[in-house]
Amino acid sequence: MNNLFMVVDATIKGNYNKLTRHRMPGAMPFGAKYRLIDFTLSNCKNSGIRNVAIFPYGNYRSLSDHIGSGDRWDLSRRKDGIFILQPKNLNLKSEDSISFQRMYEHIEYFMRSSQEYVIVTPANIVWNIDYNDVLNNHTLRQADITEVLSIDGTRLKTFVLSKDLLLSFIRNYDDLQYRNLTEVFDYSPSVNKNAYVFESSCFFINTPEELFKANMALLEIDTRHQLFNPQRPIFSKETMSSPSRYGDNAFVKNSIIASGAVIEGTVYNSIIGRKAIIKKGAVVKNSVVMNQCIIEDDTLVQYSILDKETKVLEKAFVNGSIDDLFISEKKQIVVSDKGLKVLQIAVECEPFVKTGGLADVVGALAQNYSKLGVESSVMMPLYPRIKDKYRVLLEMRLEAIIPYGQKNYKVTLYSYLDKNTNFYFIESYDFFDREMIYGYEDDGDRFAFFSKACLSLIDIFEELPDIIHIHDWHTGLIPLLVKNDERAKNVKTLMTIHNIDYQGIHPAGILNRIGLTDVVSYKPTINFMELGLNNASTISTVSPTYHDELRYEYYSKNLVEIINRRERDFYGILNGLSEEINPETDLTIKVPYSANTVFRDKPINKKYLQEIMNIEVGENFFVLGMVTRIVEQKGFDILIPALEEFMAQNNVEFVLLGTGEDRYIQKLKELEVKYPNRFRLNIGYDATNPYYIYAGADAYLMPSRFEPCGTSQMIALKYGTIPIVRQTGGLNDTVEQFDTISKKGNGFKFYNYDSKDLLFQLHNALNLFTNGDSILCHQLIQNAMSAHFSLEISAKSYVELYRAMIGLNNQ
Amino acid sequence: MKRSLIAMILVGGKGSRLNEITKDTAKPAVSFGAKYRLIDFTLSSLSYSNIDVVGLITQYEPYELMNYIGNGGSWDLDTIEGGVSFLTPYAKSGEVQWQKGTAHAISQYFNFVKQYQADHVLILAGDHIYKMDYQKMFEHHLKMNSDITIASVDVPQNEATRFGIIDYDADTSIKSFQEKPEQPKSLHASMGIYLFKTAVLEYLLKDVEHGESLDFGINVIPRAHNEKFRLYAYPFKGYWRDVGTIESLFQANMDMLDDPAYLDLNLSKGIQIYSKSMNLPPHIVLEDGMIKNSVIADGCIIDGTVLHSTVGYQTVVMKNSVIENCVLLPSTFVSENVYLKNVIVNKGVIIPSNYRLIAKEITVIDSSNLSEAGEIDE
Repeated sequence: MNNLFMVVDATIKGNYNKLTRHRMPGAMPFGAKYRLIDFTLSNCKNSGIRNVAIFPYGNYRSLSDHIGSGDRWDLSRRKDGIFILQPKNLNLKSEDSISFQRMYEHIEYFMRSSQEYVIVTPANIVWNIDYNDVLNNHTLRQADITEVLSIDGTRLKTFVLSKDLLLSFIRNYDDLQYRNLTEVFDYSPSVNKNAYVFESSCFFINTPEELFKANMALLEIDTRHQLFNPQRPIFSKETMSSPSRYGDNAFVKNSIIASGAVIEGTVYNSIIGRKAIIKKGAVVKNSVVMNQCIIEDDTLVQYSILDKETKVLEKAFVNGSIDDLFISEKKQIVVSDKGLKVLQIAVECEPFVKTGGLADVVGALAQNYSKLGVESSVMMPLYPRIKDKYRVLLEMRLEAIIPYGQKNYKVTLYSYLDKNTNFYFIESYDFFDREMIYGYEDDGDRFAFFSKACLSLIDIFEELPDIIHIHDWHTGLIPLLVKNDERAKNVKTLMTIHNIDYQGIHPAGILNRIGLTDVVSYKPTINFMELGLNNASTISTVSPTYHDELRYEYYSKNLVEIINRRERDFYGILNGLSEEINPETDLTIKVPYSANTVFRDKPINKKYLQEIMNIEVGENFFVLGMVTRIVEQKGFDILIPALEEFMAQNNVEFVLLGTGEDRYIQKLKELEVKYPNRFRLNIGYDATNPYYIYAGADAYLMPSRFEPCGTSQMIALKYGTIPIVRQTGGLNDTVEQFDTISKKGNGFKFYNYDSKDLLFQLHNALNLFTNGDSILCHQLIQNAMSAHFSLEISAKSYVELYRAMIGLNNQ
Repeated sequence: MKRSLIAMILVGGKGSRLNEITKDTAKPAVSFGAKYRLIDFTLSSLSYSNIDVVGLITQYEPYELMNYIGNGGSWDLDTIEGGVSFLTPYAKSGEVQWQKGTAHAISQYFNFVKQYQADHVLILAGDHIYKMDYQKMFEHHLKMNSDITIASVDVPQNEATRFGIIDYDADTSIKSFQEKPEQPKSLHASMGIYLFKTAVLEYLLKDVEHGESLDFGINVIPRAHNEKFRLYAYPFKGYWRDVGTIESLFQANMDMLDDPAYLDLNLSKGIQIYSKSMNLPPHIVLEDGMIKNSVIADGCIIDGTVLHSTVGYQTVVMKNSVIENCVLLPSTFVSENVYLKNVIVNKGVIIPSNYRLIAKEITVIDSSNLSEAGEIDE
C-alpha cells in the first residue's frame, strides 16, 4: 500500500488572461487531446497513489466535469479516492500557491487520510514523474520538506513532507508567519530542507506563452518519448470522436492532430485539437488550435492559440508573432480585421491635456491603433489650453446647436489629424471654456452635455465606428445614449474603469435634460459609472488582478453587485508604460544608463540623490524611494508604523516626493525630525521631475491598499529600482516575487494589508542588498530592467477585445 | 430485477471467412475504421436505446473480447442492476456444451432470460456496422402485438442471395421467409436482428436439444411462420453492413473514407459510437509525412505517404513508404521504402524495409504469409 497521498493545488491562478475566463488552469486543454490535470492525475495512478484531494478556486465546473468520478485514473475507490474540496470562505482570494488557511477549511480530510506522507503539487505541470522517487529521496535525506525543481532550476511548487508536519502548519495557520509551503521553504529556519531535481521533460505552465512553448515542445521526439511513456501512459477523459480525417487537399507537416479533426487545408508545426476543422484554403502555422475550432477557407493562422470553438471566418488573417501570440477567447468569431473602426471618447488625452494616467492611456492607445491598421479616432472637449496651443493645427469642421434641458447651446467641432489618428474636439463656451478640466459644481451637466454632443455629432463619420470605447465615469452616459440613438444603436460600447472610487454622482435631473425621458430614476441622484457599467456592451479595467479584486465589496464597494452580474462581459487588460520613459535616454537624471551600465552608473545617480536630498552620502545605505500622492489609498496607514520600526536600522535611508493629506504628512515629519540625516520629505513639489528618485533609489515602495494598475512600479522596474509592493491590482500583475533559488522575479511583494508583512519584505530586501550575494542582487536588477510593459501590448489586447466584441455579435 | 426487454448478442462462430484476421480474435473484436471494433456499433446502439441488460454469448477466443468490453463502462452499460454478462461455454455433467447454432446458443443460456423475467428478448449479432434505435423497433413490435419481429433492410439485387430474404405486406406482416434464396422474392434482407416475446421464444426453443431448431434463420423462423405465429418485419432505413468477409470488411472501410459524413461518427447528436480508449497520445505527422483521403487513429507516427487508407491506432509508417488503398489494422509497423496497395495488414504486423505488394484483389497480410504475398526489392 502506497504511503503517500496527494494534495493537488488548483488554486494557482497563473496569468492566462482570457484562456482562464471559462476554466481554471488545471482544466486547460493541452497537447491536442489532454487537459493539464491529466498529467498530474496520471502520475498519481502510475505512482500507485489512491488518495487525492483537489483544492480548486473559482470556476471549477469544467475541471470537475473533466474529472468525473475519477475512474479514468483509478481514483473511484471505496476507500480513499478523489475529492474536490471546494473553497468555503469565498472571500479568500486566489494566491500564488495554496495557503494553510485554505487547507484548514478541509482539515478533516487531512486528519482522515491514513498515509504518512503527503505530496502537494500544482494542477498545471506537464510531466511524467514517479512521485515515489521524490518520497524515497525525501526519506533517504531525512528531510522535513522536499521541493521538486526542474532541471533548469524552475521551482515546481511541488513539496513532499510528512502529514504530521503539514497538519501542524494547517492547525496554526492564523499564528504562523508563513502562509504556504513556499514561504516555509524559503524562510523557516527550523525545518530541514531538501531539493529534488527532476531530470526529464517538465513544463510548469502559468502563462499563454508557456502553454504555447510546451505544446510546441511536443513536436520534438525527446519530449514526446519522455512524456508519453507506454509503461506509464497519460490517461484522459474518454470522448467519442471518430478518427482524424484527411481530405484530398490536406497538407500536413510536423504536426499533432487529435481524433475527430477534419483536415482539408495546410497545417505546419501545429497542434490541432479534437474535432477541429481546417478547411481547404486555410493555412495554419506554428499554432495551437483547440477542440472544435473551425478555420474557414482562405485564412491564415500563425503564432496563435485558438481557444475551444473559435471560428476563423473566411479571408481572416490571424497574425500573431513569436513574441506576441494571438489568443482567442472560447467561442470567439475572428473576422477579417481590415477596417476596424474605433472611436474613443474621453475628457482628457495626451498630448493635449492630462491630469492623470487616464490621459496617457487614451492617447497611447489611439496612436498605437493607427499603427495596427485600425481606423482610430478620439472625441474630447476643447479646453482653452488646447486651443491656445494647437490653434493653427485645428481644422473647424462644423457648428451645431445642441438642445440640453430647456436651452439650446452652440457647439463647434474641430478636428486634428495626427499620425493617422483623428482627434475631434468639441468646443462649447458654456461648458468647457474654463481653466480646469474637473472640479466644478456642474461637472455632471458638463460631461452629460459632452456625451450628448458626441452622439449628436456622430454623423461626422461617414461610416459609424464599430466600437465606441469610453473611459471612466465622465462618459458613463454614452452607452445609454447609444442604445437610444436610432442610427448608432448597434454600435458596441466598451467602458474601461480606471478607478472605481470615482463614480460621478450627480442630480437625476440630468437624465431629463439630456433627453432620456424614458429612463426612470427613483433616487434624487444618478451614478454615471453605474449607468455606464449597466449599459455598455462590454466592460474592462486596467489590470487582471484589479479585475478579480472588483468582485469583492472591499474594492468595488457599492458597485459590487453590478460588477458580479456583468462578470461574463468583464475583462482586465494591463496598462503599459510609454516607450519614452527610459533611463538610457532620460536627460533629467545625473547619468543616463542602460542595463549594461547600470552597475557602474546607478551608484552615481544614488550619490546625486543623496546630495540633492541632503541626506548622508554613502554607497552602503539602502535607499528607499517614493513618488506619490500622500493619501490613504497609497498605504500610508501601514507604511508609517513599518517605517517607524525599519528606520531604526542605521543603514536605511528614505526619500519621498509628493503632496497629500496633513494627517500623514505630520507623522512623516516626526520621522524626519527623528532621523534628520537619513529621512527626507520633499512635500508639495508636485510638478518637480521625479526621475532622479527612480534613478537614485535602491528600492521603490508602493504598499498601496489598492492600485488599479499603477505606473510608478513599472517606471521603477525600468530604472532598475526594486519595487516593494503590496500584492494588489496592477502591482500584482507587474511585480513578481524574487526567488533566490530559481533567480526569477523582479521585486518583493506582500499580501496582507498589514505593516508586519510590509516590514518582513523590507527586511528581506535589505538583507539581500546588504548581506546577500552580489550576483543575486545583480540578477534581480537585471530581471527588473528586462521587464517589459508597453502600451503597444495593451493596444493589441484591446484590439483583440474589440474583435471579440464584434465576433460575438455575429453569433 | 424485472425488465421488459433485454438483449442477447450472438458472437457466433469462428468467422472463418475472415481467415487470418480472426485467427486469434473473436469476430466482434475485429478492428474497423482505424479506431473502432465491430462490437462498438451494437453496444453503442444498445446504450442509446437504454437497454442495459446484455448477455453476450461467446465461445471462440473470448478473452480479447472480454478484456475489451470489461464491465461495459465505455458504453455506459455498467449500471448497478444491469451490465454486460459474458455467457461462455461451460461443462455440464462433464461435457462441454459447445453451441451448435444460433438458436442452440440462446437456449443454452435461457436461464439468463428467466433471471430478469424479461417479457421480450432482442437477439443481435455482434459484427454488423450500423446505428439503430432498438426502442423504435420495440415500439413497432408492441404496436403490432408481434410474436417475432425481424429487422429488415433493403439490399441490392446482386447481394440478395447472401441473405435471408423476407417478403412483407404494407402493414409489415411477414408473408414469406427464405434463407439465402437463389430466386429472392423481394430485396428485403433480414438483418439477423430478432425481437421475440419470451414465451414464444421459449416454446420454439423447446425442441432444440433434440437436434431441431438449431438456427434462427434456417429452422426457428420458418417453423414459427408455419405455425402461424405473428411475424412482422421492422423496415430499417440507413447504413448497415454485415462484414463477414474480407471483401465486405475492406469495402466498409472504403465506404468510411469516401463518405465524409459516414454514419455521422463525428456528430454529437443521436447515436454516438463509443469505443474503449487506448490511452494513446494523438497521432503525429512528421516532416516527410503526407496524408490524403484517409483516416488516422491516435498514437500513429506518420512519416511516409498514406493515400485513401484507414490507419489503425499505434501504427507507424516510416519514410519513403507509400500506403495506398489499404486497411492497416492497429499496431502495424511499416518500415522504410515499403509500397502497399489494396492490402489489409493484420494487427501488429511488422512490414520489413523495401517490401512491396501491389495486390490485384484485396489481400490480407499477416506475419505468417508475408513472404509469400509480397516481395522485397533489394
